[in-house]
Amino acid sequence: MDALNATDDISQVVILLEANPYFWGGRSNGAHSTGPANFTFDRFLEHVLLFINSLHLLNQANRIVVIATGATSCAYLYDSNAAELSENARTARVSKKLSVVEKITQKLEDFMSKEAVYDLNQGTEDNRYSLLSGSLSMALCYIQRILRGPSPHPLPRILCLQGTPDAPPQYIAVMNAIFSAQRSLVPIDACIVGNHHSAFLQQATHITGGIYMKPPAPEGLFEYLSMVFATDLYSRKFLQLPRASGVDFRASCFCHKKSIDMGFVCSVCLSIFCKGQRTCTTCNAIFAPSKQPNPAAAAAQKRKVS
Amino acid sequence: MPNVRVVSRNFMEMVAALPAAKLDELYGSPWTCQAVVRSLPPLAKQYVLRLLFVEAAVSSKSIQDWALPDALNKHKVAIDKLEQLRVLIEATERRKEVSYKLNPRLQKQLQDVLKTGGGVPRESLPASFAARVPSLVDLENYAMKQWEAVLLQLVSSAFAEASTVPMNSTLTATFQRAGLITTPKGKEPPKITDAGFQFLLMDTNSQLWQIVREYVASAEDRGMDSAELISFLLELGFLNIGEPYNLNTLSPMQQNVIKELAALGVLQIQSGTKDRWFIPTKLASNLSASISETSGVQPGEGFVVVETNFRIYAYTTSKLQAEILRLFVRLEYQLPNLVVGSLTKESVSTAFASGISSDEMISFLSKHAHPHAAKKTPVVPETVTDQIRLWENDRNRVQMSPAYMYKEFPTVETFEAVDNYARDIGALLWDEPSTQRLVGKAERHEEMRNFIRRQSSAPQRR
Repeated sequence: MDALNATDDISQVVILLEANPYFWGGRSNGAHSTGPANFTFDRFLEHVLLFINSLHLLNQANRIVVIATGATSCAYLYDSNAAELSENARTARVSKKLSVVEKITQKLEDFMSKEAVYDLNQGTEDNRYSLLSGSLSMALCYIQRILRGPSPHPLPRILCLQGTPDAPPQYIAVMNAIFSAQRSLVPIDACIVGNHHSAFLQQATHITGGIYMKPPAPEGLFEYLSMVFATDLYSRKFLQLPRASGVDFRASCFCHKKSIDMGFVCSVCLSIFCKGQRTCTTCNAIFAPSKQPNPAAAAAQKRKVS
Repeated sequence: MPNVRVVSRNFMEMVAALPAAKLDELYGSPWTCQAVVRSLPPLAKQYVLRLLFVEAAVSSKSIQDWALPDALNKHKVAIDKLEQLRVLIEATERRKEVSYKLNPRLQKQLQDVLKTGGGVPRESLPASFAARVPSLVDLENYAMKQWEAVLLQLVSSAFAEASTVPMNSTLTATFQRAGLITTPKGKEPPKITDAGFQFLLMDTNSQLWQIVREYVASAEDRGMDSAELISFLLELGFLNIGEPYNLNTLSPMQQNVIKELAALGVLQIQSGTKDRWFIPTKLASNLSASISETSGVQPGEGFVVVETNFRIYAYTTSKLQAEILRLFVRLEYQLPNLVVGSLTKESVSTAFASGISSDEMISFLSKHAHPHAAKKTPVVPETVTDQIRLWENDRNRVQMSPAYMYKEFPTVETFEAVDNYARDIGALLWDEPSTQRLVGKAERHEEMRNFIRRQSSAPQRR
């Protein structure tokens, strides 16, 4: 009974919830707003909770995990599996009665207060960005545990609800997470609630075979979630689903984390640099100055010289 | 095992068979709505979710556009199922095209479920009772024990000498209705039927469903409203396992049902000084969940090891399991926790005679394989599975079909013409040109006779 039943529609959905206080807070101030002003975090959460309930409605065996992606940390908010696991304890009987909504809001409050503490300790340099790489890794770790667990396991997938723009410093970590998701056949879906397209997630969905979507009207988020992202992997074979119109394949350089169209690639470890180097900073390979540099490199060389 | 699915699906077919008004009434309960939605094929579920907040009627064409062109079959199955269960209602529009709407009652209930997150149908008793409630492990043991007792009753009718278990009359009646045991004639005790043997080899969920289905089917005879019964049964499935619920607040009909379900091990009744309460067991959650495809997962550990020399070692203390094995295995010796037997031609043939098929035996052996044996592929050695199938084929050497024999044709030409015609229409079973005789299928006799008439001769026929 190793292989899953072909008609199984049971899913393990890991939702990465955008919970960057600066993103949602900046919105109401309207100062450097990155999204539609009338879509607040409360509304966003309402839509997501409805979505979680509808996943439970579709199949009682569906398992849902929610991970908050903050500016400085990530945390598990909800695990539909955990309630069942801790059933044996008498004390758990009481806590189990809390509804999904209560559980999530309670955890979210804890999370936010922790975020505030971290924030005081650290600089506020990069708080425009959320820790996508962190929450993706947590999701993949969780899924690995499911995949290695008892054999008939539900089909896992990840849904990123991303609002903040891509964080260039996380490029390598995010790409590594994407490739590991691809290896374990976990599709990454992405729903962008902010104003900017995310090149990271476009690539993630493209590579892992997930769905990428930026709803034109985030106020109707639930509609998009239920129409598109509630579709289990089995039903996806039979339904028309949105396709990405174009994918931003640009890579970021390893030295300054800028996304570039053209650059230098280490011939040994394939690291990408925006400027020519004598040695590779990743693998320490020494580049012999070539007599016949390729045209792109030559152009860059010239620019650098002049 | 194909028949498992048939059985579990049948319950929803029963729901679908209810008259429209009753069905609509059923959708007044959020629990029925949820159970019905969860029983739907995956594609149909997606349609329900997509239409959930749509008030206006949606034309069938735009629903069809959701599906990929290759998946048109799946789409049609989904729509048919939705219509059958009156989840989708055809809305009449001025224009000719068909459009659908969700059943308004169901729609409202499901919307509420999404908004509130479901919860449980009724409040469990306060925590002060919790101390007297058995632990989950005890509860599961209790459920399994009760269920085994039920099956033992069935088994005991298979072996006449072992009628040590006192018969429960409701159960016997249910078994009889399901055709699992024969209706007694005179003083003869009821005997187990072919269907009964097959029933024993099914997994627990399918067994439970078949019993419950018969129970519901017989509800009308006993003066119960089947719609009310169904909605109560489905509601039970949503209760939390291992929590006490007050019995006294239920209607008399529901109390009755609870008592009968307790005999099946679906729930446990406890009573204190003043109150009585019931605790749903794992089997109860199966009531609403068993339609899901994962029901193939067997609760409990496997215990059977099959060796290539046809030896079977079953590590079990359960009398029931030993009895079930006895259906097709020759038991050699029984130790306190181990039963050893072997598959022999005689034992397997007896099983075939009782209507058990080779597939059922093999699937029983592989489903209940001991964890160590389950790691191997194939779980049951090929030599054994092949031999069981060969033994089954042995029984099917003779095939019977009703037939007519045509002989004494006037000329060789007529015989050949008739012979060729019979071959062409696929009616020919046997022919022998030397004696000019041939045998054709009975159902094609009309055509054969007309053809022979047209040959303008009158052959004798028998």
